[in-house]
Amino acid sequence: MSSLSTQVLVIGGGATGLGIAWDAALRGLKVVLIEQSDIGQGTSGRHHGLLHSGGRYALSDPVSARDCASENRILRKIAAHTIEDTGGIFVATPADPVDYPDRWFSACSHLNIPAEEISLSALLEREPLLNPRISRSFLVQDASIDSFDLAHSLVKGIQDHGGVVLLRHRLESVTRHQDCLVEAKISDLSNVESLSLSANLFINAAGPWAKTITNMAGAELPLALGKGTLVAMSHRLVNTVVNRCKPPSDGDIIVPVGTVSILGTTDVPVKEPTSLDIEPWEVDLLLAEGDLLLPGLRDSRPLRTWAGIRPLYRPVENGDAQTRNLLRAHVILDHEETDGLQCFISVIGGKLTTFRLMAEEAVDLICDKLEIDQKCSTASTPLPHETGQFYSLTSRLEKLEHQHSHAIADQVVCECELVMRGDIEFALEKTGSGTDLDDLRRDLRIGMGPCQAGFCAYRTYAISLEHSSSPPSLKGLHNFLYERWRGIRPVAWGSTLQQMEFSRRIYLDLLAAGPESENRS
Amino acid sequence: MTHIIIVGGGLAGLYASILAADRGAKVTTVFKGRGGLSISHGCIDVLDRSAPSRSLGSLPDHHPYQLAGKANLKDSISKFRDLMLRADYPFSGKLSKSVPILTALGSIKRTSFAPSGIARGYLNSDGPIVLGHFSGFRDFFPGMIQKRALKAGITIAKVIDLPLLEPPDRRDAYSTDYALLFEDSEWREEIIRMWRPLLPGVKRLGLPAVLGFQNHSEIHEDLEDSLGIEIFEIPTLPPSVPGLRIERILLRQAQALGATLIEGVSVIGRIDGRSRGKRVAGVVLHSTGRTIQLDADVVLLATGGILNGGLVAQQDHRIRESVFDLPVLHPASRSDWIGLSLFHRQAYASAGIRVNSHMQPLGLDEKPMFKNLYAAGGLLAGSDRSLEGSRQGIDLATAYCAINKALR
Repeated sequence: MSSLSTQVLVIGGGATGLGIAWDAALRGLKVVLIEQSDIGQGTSGRHHGLLHSGGRYALSDPVSARDCASENRILRKIAAHTIEDTGGIFVATPADPVDYPDRWFSACSHLNIPAEEISLSALLEREPLLNPRISRSFLVQDASIDSFDLAHSLVKGIQDHGGVVLLRHRLESVTRHQDCLVEAKISDLSNVESLSLSANLFINAAGPWAKTITNMAGAELPLALGKGTLVAMSHRLVNTVVNRCKPPSDGDIIVPVGTVSILGTTDVPVKEPTSLDIEPWEVDLLLAEGDLLLPGLRDSRPLRTWAGIRPLYRPVENGDAQTRNLLRAHVILDHEETDGLQCFISVIGGKLTTFRLMAEEAVDLICDKLEIDQKCSTASTPLPHETGQFYSLTSRLEKLEHQHSHAIADQVVCECELVMRGDIEFALEKTGSGTDLDDLRRDLRIGMGPCQAGFCAYRTYAISLEHSSSPPSLKGLHNFLYERWRGIRPVAWGSTLQQMEFSRRIYLDLLAAGPESENRS
Repeated sequence: MTHIIIVGGGLAGLYASILAADRGAKVTTVFKGRGGLSISHGCIDVLDRSAPSRSLGSLPDHHPYQLAGKANLKDSISKFRDLMLRADYPFSGKLSKSVPILTALGSIKRTSFAPSGIARGYLNSDGPIVLGHFSGFRDFFPGMIQKRALKAGITIAKVIDLPLLEPPDRRDAYSTDYALLFEDSEWREEIIRMWRPLLPGVKRLGLPAVLGFQNHSEIHEDLEDSLGIEIFEIPTLPPSVPGLRIERILLRQAQALGATLIEGVSVIGRIDGRSRGKRVAGVVLHSTGRTIQLDADVVLLATGGILNGGLVAQQDHRIRESVFDLPVLHPASRSDWIGLSLFHRQAYASAGIRVNSHMQPLGLDEKPMFKNLYAAGGLLAGSDRSLEGSRQGIDLATAYCAINKALR
């Protein structure tokens, strides 16, 4: 068993944990981050990709709203490449309360959240598919943000500043010395080895798994879990984030992300961080609500679904509150104050838009505890990236059109998302052996377009096998196809089911890729 | 002269059209689009067992093979092979023993009948295998096939890069782009000259299945004779050149026998006529901007399953038969349609319409709904064809049976 020591150990590789590690590394702290699977695998990679303007919470949660508005401005500067500046609109449909838009608008003004009312004709000129019976509409500064790109840049930033990110490393136990955590036992899931790590401070940023960590440490955490289901539609039906102008509820938003549109969300209280099953009613509800915004939407093609778990802070006095009604603001819990346990801090709640602010507050507390006088600089330090430009949907196509090439590296592997063979080879080289197809998906978006991996899973599997020395098992291909299938199952009808059957013809009839073909000769 | 309208242009529909025309019927075949051949491997899967003919009896009673009967399956296949042979595209294989072929994933697949170009790669025959690769072709990965095949106990001696003259100038070139190159005999002479020095000592060469489209047999023999080696084809991702070869032969044969083929139209209803609903008097077609009525003595539905649009799965938990709205057998809730993974059994895949042993669609009362309506192919309930490895066998057997009964 090898051992390491650090000043700060961050547990959890979502936006929260990565943000804390980035901030800490920038302030010159020695930091190690562990993540039990891959970065952004939990809640951070399972949302709708909305960079909040703050409008959504203007009436229900003014603190969150104000935080969102200011963080939105900051992220546009420091993480532009992860953002597509789509803009957002709040619209009131005939089904929404009539008095809400005025109350909402004045709350936005009061909180300095930019919002501007536009006419119906201006609205329909901008988004022709929207319901012509919409009565009011307001432009806000929503945008769509790619949490995987954000996570990748954060990792790069952490590493550039001397921090260590350990993926597929799970916390197994912690050792207490009197009233202080001193050491963590961590297992490396990729080769079943373990290591011990001593740290001055332990930061729990495990999102929905945060309670597992506090239990290990013998501390309390009032955490409520709310499952949110999302549906991706196979086209980019709108170019602007469209919100319903009504109190937050199920199915109140459509976010354009890349080539698809995402309908969000439901909110179902669950017990476990792994309770990700999607019920038919959730999908039916999201499509029906979406249909109020875009008439005919329910007849267009859903591509896939997924669910994420919101970890929300629920103090005892709110014991029975619906998860949707709990405040979305984040909480930084110093367990020295709540449990008399030193060197241990939990950071929970919040949202992707405010990850930087949460990190700043958490690292301020960390610096206090370590008696280090270093100011936060994340608000003015751009995350590492080549261009620093906003993402645009057509950038991949633009790049292709400007280079005419016969090189093998320039063959199209994924037609839906325009991924070239060279992109895959580059990603394989960068990340090394252990890379699975799902890592490549998060990195390159392979398998996320309309064909849902029918062609590219085979091609990508073949390329990765030709590049690796690992045994030629079909497990990686199977896991990838299982994962895709799981997301499509809840929307398996119409042309979505036709696409699934098409994949089956390829992988069963044509390629004999089934598990049983492994031992038949 | 009996007028039969056949709805569907896939393997079952085109094959039935030929059979019907061959029997002297007046045949009108209408189809919206092409069937599944272009995404198939171009072989005839009868049943993924080592001895399909012995395993047929153990299938459930409502399985299409049980309904059509073993004799119809046998006859349908020999008739199909005759057709293909006449078009210089011979198939080999037998019902009593499956043959193993190498897939583009380097897995071993069992099938029953394969065109000779693929059959020359049967893994149960001897001789070391070498794989050839056209470096610009993005859908063939010989290095991967080599590694994977080794795991399955098949040794591929080496992989050779074979240059092509003027390869397709596109970064997304498909198998069909390559197949067309091989049609040019002067071009072939050139590449044979280029390849010859690269293949010393090679006895058996596997190539992606792109060796010509129309004149495959001639091209294949030309390459083999000139290079003095045995060559076999490995089917690749869609569009499938071997599947398209079959489709083309069937279309040509049907036309040669006098069948009228109308492509790009959908059937949107039936004419019930004067028989108090006991007979179908014709169909209503929808073409661009207008509807056409066609009278018929017999109607055969070969519209396919979920993929090809013969069956339409809906959000409201229904699976509908798309042409006549015939009753469809399927699980009541859409959450029960889908298996845990792509490789599991799928209830939606065996959904379909129920027929009797004459291939007549049955009503809820278990009786034929119309005296002169028949169905064949992917539309029929009772088989998860991908899992069973029975797709083309069912198409041929049920089409053959339906035409037999309909034109008695």
